[in-house]
Amino acid sequence: MRRSAPERIGIGLAALGIAAWSFFPIYWMIVSSLRTPQDLFSRPTFLPKTVSLESYRNLLEVTDYPQQFRNSIVVALVVVAITLVASVVIAYAVTRFRVPFKMLIIGSMLYAYMFPPMLLAIPLYGIFVTLGIADSLLALVIAHCTLTLPLGVWLLWGFFKAMPFELEEAAMVDGCTRLGSFVRVVLPLSLPGIVTVAVFSFLLSWTDYAYALVMISSDTQKTLPVGLASMVGSFELRWGEVMAGATLIALPLFLMFTLLSRYFIQGLAAGATKG
Amino acid sequence: MRSRYDWVIWTFFWGGLALTALFVGGPVLNAIWLSLHQASSFIAEPKFVGLGNYARVVQEPEFWSAMANGLIYALSAIVLQVVIGIAFAMVLNQPFFGQRLVRGLATLPYLLPTVVVALTFQWLADGSVGLLTVIARDLGLGTIPWFEQPATARASVILASVWLWTPFVTICVLAGLQSIPPALYEAAKVDGAGPVSIFFHVTLPQLKPVLTVVVLLRAIWMFNKFDVIWLLTKGGPLGATEHLPILAYKRAFSLFDVGGGAAVATVSFLILMAAVSTYLWMFPLEEKR
Repeated sequence: MRRSAPERIGIGLAALGIAAWSFFPIYWMIVSSLRTPQDLFSRPTFLPKTVSLESYRNLLEVTDYPQQFRNSIVVALVVVAITLVASVVIAYAVTRFRVPFKMLIIGSMLYAYMFPPMLLAIPLYGIFVTLGIADSLLALVIAHCTLTLPLGVWLLWGFFKAMPFELEEAAMVDGCTRLGSFVRVVLPLSLPGIVTVAVFSFLLSWTDYAYALVMISSDTQKTLPVGLASMVGSFELRWGEVMAGATLIALPLFLMFTLLSRYFIQGLAAGATKG
Repeated sequence: MRSRYDWVIWTFFWGGLALTALFVGGPVLNAIWLSLHQASSFIAEPKFVGLGNYARVVQEPEFWSAMANGLIYALSAIVLQVVIGIAFAMVLNQPFFGQRLVRGLATLPYLLPTVVVALTFQWLADGSVGLLTVIARDLGLGTIPWFEQPATARASVILASVWLWTPFVTICVLAGLQSIPPALYEAAKVDGAGPVSIFFHVTLPQLKPVLTVVVLLRAIWMFNKFDVIWLLTKGGPLGATEHLPILAYKRAFSLFDVGGGAAVATVSFLILMAAVSTYLWMFPLEEKR
């Protein structure tokens, strides 16, 4: 359908507006992290007058940021691993085996969507204090799994349910064991679903602030979001370093989005998020 | 069909299920148990007080103002997200040069950790050299107290939330728009319908299944959202942005009233459940066609 010139110009302008609204704050964050401290406290200009990595150098040399970056990576990867193993098997068994209370299991996963963060955080912290693991990365891993496990089971349940059973049966008739057909047929075929669960588990863990705020108090155990936020609360507000830190948190996510955008969209469409 | 190695899968299944029940079910039951006890810290011996915590919490004016603040925040943020999200999706559904790029950019805010968004907004609104402050000064608007006055703090928190979570609505509605059969539009045009009437009589009704789910999910999350408000205002100024999640957090972790905090969290969950059940009764989720 051909559109008239004024219509096309209007759509173009609207698209430009959407791009600016969505991207400008991100642009400003990146640009601010690249300005020199002196430049930062003079009148802001849309294009940086100078480009310097001083903020990044300070951030990485003076603060606990590198340690916190490692913490975030470790926590996120362990959470992804636990979530994948547990949710793949639960979802597979629920769709392929005669499991008692099947719908109750699946239904309760949905209810976990609705739990207010403090309904889980308050008791979890109490339990961790009793166990003596409060203020540790292990505590945070467990806390994040309370978010990612229900999500993973829910998503993969939808996935396995839609996958035809005949393929596995064919493999089993040809002499594969169930475990063999699971590994050789089911896992490769459900790779998109598994990647989606991995992506969203990583996202949840990497971006979490509320649980980390409750569970972690010492600087060396903090993950990036809490570590960065507590930098702002400290004696001297240094926006250059803060924006450099924010950029570095966002960078892995942008990278992931560029490479795996298909899975993001797929996951969103399946109601995969909690945010 | 049975197979020799079924037990491996069964073992993992029960193990995984037990893990999930322990991780998710355990804390919730423990929260309810805590809400029936009084403890002055996380290590103190809890004393059973029955529904005492609930009675105490509900009698405090903070509870009711937190409830009102939460409703104002959630309702305005949801309405704005849905309206802006639909508008964005309508534009992004049109063919134009660079459409893929703009769709990608429109998704980006949703990926950002809340802490990044909160800090960037605080930097933009910084009282001396923040970009928004400088622009407002140049336009002769004076200094806008973004986070210092109750009304502006509420608006700022809503603005940041809308910016961050609109892409969710945009993406879902865009997917919904693409599944509307073009024949419907052509039929409406033949009948002489204008763009406005097409929007209200074709597009919106066709989007209803998508919107029912989107509004439900956004409502649940906006009601429960803790981090964005805590990072921007800590519930202030004068408690203007303090809603139930923040009240629960403050009770448990600043005042060390663990039972009270658990009671607030439990009550807010019950309210949410009631609201969601009502919503689902009014707008039953349709099976996908």
